[in-house]
Amino acid sequence: MAQLRQDFSAFVAQEAVILVVGPEGPATFKDYWQKHSLPFVGLPDLSHQVLKLFGQQVSLFRMGRMPAQVVVDKQGCARFVHYGDSMSDIPDNQELLGLLADLNREQLKEAV
Amino acid sequence: MPKVEINTQAPDFSLADFNGQTVRLTDFRGGKNVVLVFNRGFT
Repeated sequence: MAQLRQDFSAFVAQEAVILVVGPEGPATFKDYWQKHSLPFVGLPDLSHQVLKLFGQQVSLFRMGRMPAQVVVDKQGCARFVHYGDSMSDIPDNQELLGLLADLNREQLKEAV
Repeated sequence: MPKVEINTQAPDFSLADFNGQTVRLTDFRGGKNVVLVFNRGFT
């Protein structure tokens, strides 16, 4: 989360919004957001409806949910999907930013 | 549990943010790319 915050302006420059979905309740989200001054959108998913919809994995061995990232383009199409195998298995921001730059270039070409 | 396939339409959803404001994935269609981050939690 700290890495995402650090590169937040680069994501904004690539015309991206960051939505963070988690199984905690609104109060926990709010506390965490305030404590860490997070600039992105936090979406509590207590009923796990979206976590299930996107297939976030639960590891009984590791006693928790594994991280996942999905990049959705401006047409609503999933263009990057990563399901982590461990808590530290998350894509590098530069990989995501590079993909977003490619998507924006594609969309510009299609618009011409 | 379904996994989202790359290059397919992402399933739409609607959730309230922690301030109670409703956010739909389709709110961003035609305007913004969306980076969805699924976390374990914050505690």
